[in-house]
Amino acid sequence: MAGEESFKTIIDMLVELKDTSELMMDLAYSSILFNSKELANEVQELEERVDNLHTDFELLVLSRCIKPEESKHFLGLIRLGVVTEKIADAAAQIAEVVLRGLEPHPILGQAIKEAKETVTHVQVSKKSPLVGRSLKEAQVHEHTGMWVLAIKRGDKWLRPKPDTVIEAGDLLIASGYAEGEGEMRTLASNSRAEKGKHSV
Amino acid sequence: MVRFERIRYKPVPVRELLVEIKDISELMIDLAYSAALYHSHPIAEEVLELEKRVDTLAYLLDMNAMIAARDAKDAESLVGVSVVATAADKISDAAGDIAGLVLREIGVHPLVREAFEKVEEQLTRVVVSSHSILIGKRIGELRLAVRKGVDIIVLRRNKGLKINPEDEEKLHEGDVIVARGAPLGLGKLEKLAEGTTRELEG
Repeated sequence: MAGEESFKTIIDMLVELKDTSELMMDLAYSSILFNSKELANEVQELEERVDNLHTDFELLVLSRCIKPEESKHFLGLIRLGVVTEKIADAAAQIAEVVLRGLEPHPILGQAIKEAKETVTHVQVSKKSPLVGRSLKEAQVHEHTGMWVLAIKRGDKWLRPKPDTVIEAGDLLIASGYAEGEGEMRTLASNSRAEKGKHSV
Repeated sequence: MVRFERIRYKPVPVRELLVEIKDISELMIDLAYSAALYHSHPIAEEVLELEKRVDTLAYLLDMNAMIAARDAKDAESLVGVSVVATAADKISDAAGDIAGLVLREIGVHPLVREAFEKVEEQLTRVVVSSHSILIGKRIGELRLAVRKGVDIIVLRRNKGLKINPEDEEKLHEGDVIVARGAPLGLGKLEKLAEGTTRELEG
């Protein structure tokens, strides 16, 4: 039925809005931490994407013939969409600090590093077991509890996809609980022998 | 009428305030979505408590940042701190909006729950009652007792708030605990806090 089909699309869109807005928060904090205009620009682009997606989402919800008894449920959906949009806005606001060319105050970086959920970057060494594996195979999250948000290869920033193959020299930007940072370094650097040593 | 807490200047390092605002706002997002999915009033109320706290912290941060600025250069670099704190405050407001949905019984469509349930863990919020066996016990002992995949993420006592509290922390009557994890362990935690189970083991 067309109605059910469009309902599934609505839910998918909401899930994407939620995921994107959360990714944007992490990327925005990373852009401050590394004073990176590229990352900050990435956030701005995602913000535009969220705006468009959010509009499509609302239109699709409104185009349904909603029965009176369903109206509260659909209002809930619309409001959740608004929330994701607000979060995306806030992330864009954070990234804007970098794009304004304001030298981020050192305490910004310190605060982001000190927080429970932190952002870190590690360079993948030639000896790392990650080299030559796709992100899906590498299972970084399973091993370290951290999510790879972005990859810097040479001058280019890549958005990680499950089939993105990790190369030696890649700079991985990852977020997660601070406890995972050490494991992330070990994984990117080398074998167990060097565990504990921060060799980047 | 909404009562607002009167805010007085206190000297607090801006860095500390920012860390706390960031931590709480991110935690609030998780709590808020969970409250919406499981239609949990206690979690939604906790989100609103945290929102008030972030508001207060944001005021304090601005006050302290203002005092820290000595010249134009300081002002230029500190304005970014204030913008970031404001954005985190906005995120906490967004989480508060979700909590408001839950408390106003607007709820979300049951099918949304199905879609999100796969990715979100369940949370619970409990208050340590006067006849709970948990009073005087350490967080570490509680963690052991409910170990089946349960993570204690918040301990709130009056105005004090600890995210991921230390094992050494002792529990008092009236403490608010938020935990996430498997329903079985969460159920046990609820019973222990209410005092309907008085056995830590088993």
